Amino acid sequence: MDQYHNFTLEDFLWDPFFRNWVLKPTREDEEYWQNWLTANPEKTGTVRSARELVLSIAPLQAPLPQTEKENAIRQIVGNIKNEEELDETASKLRLFQPLMSIAAVLIVIAGLSWTFWTVNHKQEINYEALVSATATPLIEKTNQDKEPLLIKLADGSIVKLDPGSKVSYPAKFEPGKREVYLSGKAFFDIAKDPSRPFFVYANEVITKVLGTSFTVRSFTDEKEVSVAVKTGRVAVFTRKDPEINEKKDSRELTGVVIEPNQQIVFVRESIKMTKSLIPSPELIDNNVTTYDFEFDETPVSHVFSELQKAYGIEIIFDKNIMNECPITAKLSEMTLYEKLDLVCKAVGASYELIDGRIIVEGKGCKNI
Amino acid sequence: MKMITSNIQQEEREIALWREMLAGNVAPFESLIDVTYDLLFQYGNKFCRDRELIKDCIQDVFLEIWEKKGSLNHNIPPKAYLLASLRRRLHRMMQKNRMLFLDHLLPDEGFDIAFHAEHQFIQTENDQQIASRITHMLNGLPKRQREAIYLKFFQDMDRDEIAAIMEIHPQSVSNLLQTAFKFLKTQWRSIVSLLLFLRFVA
Repeated sequence: MDQYHNFTLEDFLWDPFFRNWVLKPTREDEEYWQNWLTANPEKTGTVRSARELVLSIAPLQAPLPQTEKENAIRQIVGNIKNEEELDETASKLRLFQPLMSIAAVLIVIAGLSWTFWTVNHKQEINYEALVSATATPLIEKTNQDKEPLLIKLADGSIVKLDPGSKVSYPAKFEPGKREVYLSGKAFFDIAKDPSRPFFVYANEVITKVLGTSFTVRSFTDEKEVSVAVKTGRVAVFTRKDPEINEKKDSRELTGVVIEPNQQIVFVRESIKMTKSLIPSPELIDNNVTTYDFEFDETPVSHVFSELQKAYGIEIIFDKNIMNECPITAKLSEMTLYEKLDLVCKAVGASYELIDGRIIVEGKGCKNI
Repeated sequence: MKMITSNIQQEEREIALWREMLAGNVAPFESLIDVTYDLLFQYGNKFCRDRELIKDCIQDVFLEIWEKKGSLNHNIPPKAYLLASLRRRLHRMMQKNRMLFLDHLLPDEGFDIAFHAEHQFIQTENDQQIASRITHMLNGLPKRQREAIYLKFFQDMDRDEIAAIMEIHPQSVSNLLQTAFKFLKTQWRSIVSLLLFLRFVA
């Protein structure tokens, strides 16, 4: 079976049996190839090259710390165990089934009357309530088309309203502030005017900006409200915020401030806001610099600073350690995460996304 | 050709765990998750960069398997089945998210794998150049060809398994691989001649 005799370097490279010997050798493989090499000594160089190539070429791996994996597995198994316990209690309860159904009916009745009570007594924060509570007359635009609807506001700001959404705004803004109300999803490109902050009221969430572009998504029947920034900075807070007035009146952006490529998701039920990165961060628009992401023996700390500038996302790393690591790479055609994967891999570091920022950990390059 | 023994052993272990799991035992189920988790995570990562979403989807895949364990086939290779389930679920979730988030900000998604060469394994500069060029060629392949290559050569999947995972006909898998190799071959020729030339002038 000596097909290997005529093999070129490339043939070896893609031969499953050869790859397997290199990557996961068994005793039989080892024996076979040692014998073969003894019989074909002229092939030693080619086999050595092919072996090294097989070892060196691999798909890029995303870092998955052992603890993170263990936690994930524990969670899955924990879920199963919980379910089994529930099943057991459920089968025990089946004995009391007639009693249970009566109890269930009672609970449903109690639940219904509680709902009625809350609807009547607690003011729900939604688009209709907010719009009807304003003093100034508002124009309402509803998008019933399939395409986004472009609306130009009095101050030159532009709203791109998604289908099934509506927005209310005054024909002319008040002197000190600009306020609009949103139900559904829209992209805002706000004209810069630091003396008149711009507010978007979307159910429980208030977004305050000075001049920037961002998207708000807030459908009445959905559980979450989200705000994602394309350019500039926006502040987000909730109507229940105890310091709401200070935050609204302040000349600066206070509260949770999000920046390009970050988003805030507000879970309406638990009134919880979390900050994270959007799924695919983009280069931030500024016409001043263009980045080629080509590095030649550049300290990796400089690479991180460059990425931080280009994507407007904070990257935290230990400057002292990372200064020692030089890197040569061309990263232009990759997404942010691919760039990070590659750079981190090259210097034996790993990164995590925490709170809308990127945190890099590594031991430096003294030993590499 | 000789059989690939080590993989067979690993596959046998997975099938054994799979069967014990289907019988309702938690411990082998946990081991099965443990031995397949890295693969699933890396594979998911090629479609989507949101680690939390990937981990959620992996969790859902395993929970669903546990729920349906009474009706699942004892004789299927678990790895391919898990990859196929994860791929489907991730696509579904990402479609949902695409509607949720800023569609105009999201680039076209799909299997996006990048290969790279770790030069520390390579002794000669010549081979390092070859390695860089091969990875460059691989990364230049269309996404679906890259996925087929990844599954075949880096995850040891056979044609039928790849077909099941990618939800295409086995013949299409062969076609994808053939097209990829035709491309690699032509590119390869130019590399080899270039390197010979370089060696000659040097």
